[in-house]
Amino acid sequence: MNHPALAEKFAKDFNRTTWHDETLWFVRQKRDRAIYPIPEFQELRTLASQIKDHTLSNLDNYLLQFEENARKNGVKVHWAADGEEHNRIVLDIIRNAPHIKGRTGPIKMVKSKSMLTEECHLNPFLQKNGVEVVDTDLGERIVQFRNEPPSHIVMPAIHLKKEDVGETFHEHLGTPKGEKDPQALTEAARQHLRQKFVEADIALTGVNFAVAETGSFVVCTNEGNADLGVNLANVHIACMGMEKLIPKVEHLSVFIRLLARSATGQPVTTYTSHFTKPAEGKEMHIVIVDNGRTQQLGRSDFRNSLKCIRCGACMNTCPVYRRSGGHSYDFTVPGPIGAILSPNIDLHKYSTLPFASTLCGSCSDVCPVKIDIHVQLYKWRQVVSKENELPAVKKWGMKGLAKMLAMPKVYNLGGKVARSALRILPHGMTHAKGMNPWAKARELPDAPKQSFKEWYSQNKKP
Amino acid sequence: MSSREKILASVKAHKPALIDLPVIPAFEGDGSIEKFKTVLTGIGGHAIEVSSKTECQQVIDTHYSDLKNLASTLVKATVEIDTSTSKDILEQVDLAVVEGVVGVAENGAIWVPEANMINRALPFITQHLVLVLDKTNIVANMHEAYKKLDTIGNYGAFIAGPSKTADIEQSLVIGAHGARSMMVILY
Repeated sequence: MNHPALAEKFAKDFNRTTWHDETLWFVRQKRDRAIYPIPEFQELRTLASQIKDHTLSNLDNYLLQFEENARKNGVKVHWAADGEEHNRIVLDIIRNAPHIKGRTGPIKMVKSKSMLTEECHLNPFLQKNGVEVVDTDLGERIVQFRNEPPSHIVMPAIHLKKEDVGETFHEHLGTPKGEKDPQALTEAARQHLRQKFVEADIALTGVNFAVAETGSFVVCTNEGNADLGVNLANVHIACMGMEKLIPKVEHLSVFIRLLARSATGQPVTTYTSHFTKPAEGKEMHIVIVDNGRTQQLGRSDFRNSLKCIRCGACMNTCPVYRRSGGHSYDFTVPGPIGAILSPNIDLHKYSTLPFASTLCGSCSDVCPVKIDIHVQLYKWRQVVSKENELPAVKKWGMKGLAKMLAMPKVYNLGGKVARSALRILPHGMTHAKGMNPWAKARELPDAPKQSFKEWYSQNKKP
Repeated sequence: MSSREKILASVKAHKPALIDLPVIPAFEGDGSIEKFKTVLTGIGGHAIEVSSKTECQQVIDTHYSDLKNLASTLVKATVEIDTSTSKDILEQVDLAVVEGVVGVAENGAIWVPEANMINRALPFITQHLVLVLDKTNIVANMHEAYKKLDTIGNYGAFIAGPSKTADIEQSLVIGAHGARSMMVILY
């Protein structure tokens, strides 16, 4: 299903849609309160954008530098051209781990948040191959129990109410029926997941930033699930998209100051963990993934999207995301940023996403790395149209309108007819859902007697 | 050609012409103890000032007398922890008291390097966490913090307050997977 169809489904429950809208707007407001006290915040955004510009323009050399330094640190570095190769590499690392190789019985893995592994569909692949995968971020655990994808990259279960979570936990964790207190539900998850952390053979994490000069990587969480998992398991696998690189440790300061403030309005995440060398007797692996990123690097109009640090600020501020929900995008990364990343992956499947925007530009205004998101949305629309992926109604509607706008006489007559028609015709006809989708949830204003053009020619001073 | 070579060749072919790396100016800010304490309180932590490091024991005795398994190299420990301690012992730790090396006033974070953690898992698996910090090591912002650290070492973390989540309806809950409470003793 395409975005408008899925959005319509979500928006059917009016009260829930309103609640979703308000909840995300509240996060946007928290973001504003967190950035206003920082006088240099706008300067930091510019710096972050420039650091990413530089890194992308020298990415091959930084990748090599990162690999060399990571290897010196005793970390094994792997390269995956696409999602399938990424999944295979992860499975190989698991099967060849010294404490697992040749062992029978279940293999247990704990995972902290990684949008990349969602993008590669790692979980179902590992489960099919006999690995028990437990997502340990609370929001991700909730959606994993429900067999749903995350609906937001920072708040994976933001589409659910506490009653929904209560039901899910009652079913999977045996919490009392009707328990919906977030404190009690979180405590139940804590107890359940502590056991999973202790039992795990392998811990997998994402990567927020990778530092070329030291071969280190940084993982940010509020719950502490990345560090708990990694430090209790024998093997740590970190999966990163190649665009996560930054040149030096000093650049971390810019990004750490921006990330949590933009994401949730916190001054910093509770844990900002820097991994450089594995603990003695343990293994650390890094999987560097392309999966369409080099292609995006080559598209000068859309290259900027690779600067994204996955804060989710563009989702929280987007009037379309807030009222259509993350699942309506049907892509790993929803919202405005997802709508400019997805067409690079599959233009046909995601052809409606660049239109899931009012082009108000709020996404670009809040982006901590100054991606010109709304400009790219507009540019993707041109590509969608050129590739003949527009729905017929839109395509011929646009063509017809373009013709009419080019002929002043026809345009003037059309305006006249429409103004009288709106006055004369019954409401049921002017607002017929099939004919006028614009008026589905909106009232049209009263039609004026004359057009502005007519009024102007009568009133202009000689 | 391996994926590594393929990816590197593709990056080389697709990247734009070299763009300069900007210089990060010296950003200044309020690096006061007061600011640090205010921000830390705002994120669910709590700070106590003492006049010398030796008073830590007294603070722990006063505030945490009800906790049984205490791991530390700074105050009297009741459970021995080292780098090879097993998971089932780590799991029983009620309180860990370890030393941080740099505090950041703008966000309440404290850098804890691996060497001070005793065991890499300890600051995360403990039920409650106390970080001890020399108050002259508080800096204004992250730029100054990284400058003050000679190295980020093998492993280390900025820890800012107790473990938390807002994943259920955006309601803030303290004590997700990590420490349920976090206190900082400033000496």
